[in-house]
Amino acid sequence: MKIRAEWFGALLELERPRALVSLNRTLARKLGLSDSPRWRGDDPGRLSAPTEVHLVISRRCSAGCKGCYVSAVPHGPALSLEQAKAAVDQLAAHGIFHMALGGGEALDLEHLFEVADYARSKGILPNLTTSGLGMDEETARRCRVFGQINVSVDGVGEDYRRARGYDGFDRAVRALELLRATRREVGINCVVTRHNFESLGEIVALARRLRLNEVELLRFKPSGRGLEQWRENDLSVEQARALYPRVRWLSVRHRMRLKLDCSFAPMVFFHRPSRAAARFFGVVGCQGGNLLASVLPEGDLTGCSFGGPREASIFEPREVAAAFEGGFQSFRDFARRAPEPCRSCRYLSLCNGGCRVVSKAAGDWWQPDPGCPTVAAHSR
Amino acid sequence: MTNERPKVEGRPRILGIRPGVNPNSSSLGVDITFLLLGGTGSLALSFLMSAWLRGRKPAVVEVGAPKGEGQE
Repeated sequence: MKIRAEWFGALLELERPRALVSLNRTLARKLGLSDSPRWRGDDPGRLSAPTEVHLVISRRCSAGCKGCYVSAVPHGPALSLEQAKAAVDQLAAHGIFHMALGGGEALDLEHLFEVADYARSKGILPNLTTSGLGMDEETARRCRVFGQINVSVDGVGEDYRRARGYDGFDRAVRALELLRATRREVGINCVVTRHNFESLGEIVALARRLRLNEVELLRFKPSGRGLEQWRENDLSVEQARALYPRVRWLSVRHRMRLKLDCSFAPMVFFHRPSRAAARFFGVVGCQGGNLLASVLPEGDLTGCSFGGPREASIFEPREVAAAFEGGFQSFRDFARRAPEPCRSCRYLSLCNGGCRVVSKAAGDWWQPDPGCPTVAAHSR
Repeated sequence: MTNERPKVEGRPRILGIRPGVNPNSSSLGVDITFLLLGGTGSLALSFLMSAWLRGRKPAVVEVGAPKGEGQE
């Protein structure tokens, strides 16, 4: 098992069941970790490096989804095999545990599997998001190198076409079936919009019928081509309020593991869940530059795939180390300078003010997330 | 993993568990299934996991050690 020293003790990676466990120093010592230099001094308020990095391996995709957050096109830029390996080397040196491969359509890249194999050899678990449009039996078999694979399905039948701008539902389901035939860790990614909100049950039922292990619900992000589509897709205030109770009910109703991405955290904390449980199970909002970072096809290291400044070149070890040490202030600094109503919110240290990229699209990076029901009520 | 101050010394403790892995461009924010366990569930899981780890004492390999210390 891999272990990484942190200020509080250490992070331990479990393979079965898959989990990252935070240990205090005493327990870390009992497992054989020597006292770390990171245990000296005060709490830095951040991890030594992210636990997961999103490798946007290309902006290349021929599907042409109208809300694509990286504005992928058929001949878009991509990391070469050598560049991708160099990025993996940097991430491995900092003890990153998981890598999410995506961007454009990662499966369109001939060297994708070589990158995934290389990440494995360096101790990083590669995971994949795909549209599944080009999936066949051979590709599904090769996908065993990945940990979790999720296929994007934003609606069932006609809802899929409405969300993506083309009819790919049957091919996505076929991809799920082919992948599920070879492995257990297969799930669905669904971007939740005001148009498919009422139909989420159909997606969860589909996942149940196909015996998938999870459904991840993602917020529509105002970046790339999605910026122009954002206002017409963003949840209404009523839907934002109803999201958490609805998803909780769907999880129980369909006995399916449901996850929400970081940008939905304000919609959960609005309902005042147990802070102890939230803290323990890592229920958090924006984690740009802390739990998560991104590497773009140009080699730029950023705090988030959807926005934020370039912090370093992933090919420059000193820049990367400096960024993890003291960079990412545009993400890490929000809690310190948070305006109301975030400042007096009991969940600020967990939520971190919601999604900065949404705030920026609404006018100001440093304002509270306007999609948060508490913020909406405060504004009125 | 948050700004709350954990008990870093003293009794061996599990401070948190982040279940599963995330294949997405955004980080995992909320695992609804685990959050349903609530505060009591998290406390129970903390004790069980701590006991299991101490009993099993898995072989660990340190990664991401500060330069010049630990092993890769």
